Amino acid sequence: MTSAGVMRIAVGLYILLFFAYLFGPLVVMSFTAFNSSEFPSISPWNCVTGEWFDVLVKDKHLMGGLRSSLFVGIGVVLLAVPIGLAASLLMTQLQKRARSVVYTVAISPILVPGVVLGISTLVFWERIDRVVLGVEDGFFYDGYFMTIIGQSTFIAAYAMLVFLARLQRFDPGLEEAALDLGATQTQVFRKILLPFLKPAIASAAVLAFLASFENYNTTVFTIVSESTLTTVLASKVRYGINPSISALAVIIIALTLLSAVIHEYLKRKEVKTTSALVAEGLPRGGSESRPHPMRIPVGALTGLVVISLLAGLWFARGYDVDECKVRVAEENRIHFEALKQQRLAEAKAKREASGEDASAAVEANQTGRQYQSIFAPTNLGQQVDSDLETETGADAAVEANQQGRQYQGIFDPGNLGKQVDSAPEND
Amino acid sequence: MLGWLRWFMARNGIALSVYMLGAVALWVIVMIVLPQLFMLDFSFRHNWQQIDPSKMGGPEDVYTFVNYHFLAYGSPNNPDPFNVVDVTVFFRTIIAAVFVTIFDLALCYPIAYYLAQVARGGKARLLVLSLIIPFWVNELLRAFAFRILFGEEGTINAILVGLGLLSEPIDFVREDVALYAGLGYAYILLMIFPIYNVVESLDKNQIEAARDMGASWLRIHRRVVIPFAKPGITSGCTMVFMLSAGALAAPQILGGPSSLWFTQIIYQWFNTGSNWPRGSAYAIVLMLTCVLLVLVLMKIFKVKIGEIGR
Repeated sequence: MTSAGVMRIAVGLYILLFFAYLFGPLVVMSFTAFNSSEFPSISPWNCVTGEWFDVLVKDKHLMGGLRSSLFVGIGVVLLAVPIGLAASLLMTQLQKRARSVVYTVAISPILVPGVVLGISTLVFWERIDRVVLGVEDGFFYDGYFMTIIGQSTFIAAYAMLVFLARLQRFDPGLEEAALDLGATQTQVFRKILLPFLKPAIASAAVLAFLASFENYNTTVFTIVSESTLTTVLASKVRYGINPSISALAVIIIALTLLSAVIHEYLKRKEVKTTSALVAEGLPRGGSESRPHPMRIPVGALTGLVVISLLAGLWFARGYDVDECKVRVAEENRIHFEALKQQRLAEAKAKREASGEDASAAVEANQTGRQYQSIFAPTNLGQQVDSDLETETGADAAVEANQQGRQYQGIFDPGNLGKQVDSAPEND
Repeated sequence: MLGWLRWFMARNGIALSVYMLGAVALWVIVMIVLPQLFMLDFSFRHNWQQIDPSKMGGPEDVYTFVNYHFLAYGSPNNPDPFNVVDVTVFFRTIIAAVFVTIFDLALCYPIAYYLAQVARGGKARLLVLSLIIPFWVNELLRAFAFRILFGEEGTINAILVGLGLLSEPIDFVREDVALYAGLGYAYILLMIFPIYNVVESLDKNQIEAARDMGASWLRIHRRVVIPFAKPGITSGCTMVFMLSAGALAAPQILGGPSSLWFTQIIYQWFNTGSNWPRGSAYAIVLMLTCVLLVLVLMKIFKVKIGEIGR
């Protein structure tokens, strides 16, 4: 094989690996949303289920967070987009030196860590509240208010960049012509500049909303006693989780894919009209630097999705989740029974060796933990075991501990406690 | 200045001028500059609000270095020569962020080059579009996905154990593998796009010319592409470094129980610690260090700040 051929294969492999890294986590997470296992995983695949979507919709905290995220998002759009627009317009009218100063200050919020923005906003408005209004928890020290302000600080910079990019293609001749014909400045702004910037306003608004919707670092400081979707999510992910989070991710991924397809479709349509205009000898609206031949098979992709959905439905006809769950629970019970026998034998051997029982305190502690997860379907086997508790308490506890660790070890609240403890004490 | 103002007013009319100047003043002064100054001021104060609110504004409410001193040396009865926990975490965060940046650069440069110069037409568009999609998914959900993958009972362990490559599952979360993989993942896009934008504007003929004159592909990259892409590379590295040093979600979700990220310590001062002045001081130290490092980097690579974010 030629070296060029080897190179091609290597490049192809690299790109394949790269996109596997990019999409693998999302794909795996999406699958966990359909597994009936209490803990989000795909490796012990239990049953295909849609129950996590129900759990998600019925989750009051998440839904409340979603509502306030929408509210904050709209507020940010209303604040950040006009600011970004004003800044970009002002920028075009400044002299070079002043422009670079304003530009540096204006994009600095993008470079400053979000945490710092959140803190400074919190500290500032809390102080304003105390000094100007003379009260604590007054108007300015409000979670929604501070979050909208704090997020807009850097989102306005995004909006500004979008507008600046569009303004670069603006023909100042249009403005001059309108002024020469006797239009006022306000008229020029309303009739010429705004229509020209309309697509940029739309994309800046979408960008601002999405950036606000998924912001966490700033929000977590400024939101105080309220909560948005991201702060609810963060606490959920940290303290015990179930696959309803994955279900949320599936919904978001689906929406993203959908909007990508729509965007692609609109873009294609726009290009078609532009090329039609070009064919008629009219000037093009936007100067595409490198026109791509559009060959993304949007239609084929949509068809594929529809077909796979239909196939899924067809296979799901005779499928009963409850039946499957009972079967899995039974399998688990048998598995744990075997495990228990094994532990019993081990413990017996150990006890004979040391001649001592397990300490009572440890036993009590671990029995408590056992009950925490007793309603998990995967732990059904254990419920049966609890009858035997009196005789084999220590052994059952050992087993419960094992099982507990298996499913919640990494999210163990104890671990988080440690994390908090390790901070230096407040003096 | 006044002359400019008069010219500006005449040019835009009163309503527009007031809107533009007012909005920008609100943004730059009330939202950007003043909060930072207040935070700076706050970081030099005692925590009277929590300890004894009556002393606020009184003779004892004076400026102090106590919060910065605490970051360096810990509480007065700390037996160690310096504040071991916080200082270690601080340097670990900075160094880890540097490594995440290098990792992302190494990972993304080939892809950015491929997208900008090699791939063409529909394929390139499809690849670029599919690059963007994962980044509309929430940062927390992305971290959550890595938790599913890397957990002790996670997919990767299941696969490795299932294949017989491992006898015991590895706790990737405890080993911080999950954190670094997740952080690297989180900011891929911010590394690719600046490089992509610059490399795309590189004239293909330059590469052709170098190749015709017998340069190896390594040499082409070293002498032609990389020097040309420098602003993009610097801008990408700046973004990734800043964001990963300032990341909070990924360390909270993917960090092992014993390993802290500096932002987590700041977060604790504001929440469980209830010591805002100290949290502010820590935040300022973090910000200044990051900005300083980035400025040094820019100086070394001779890139101006105005070129960032384009």
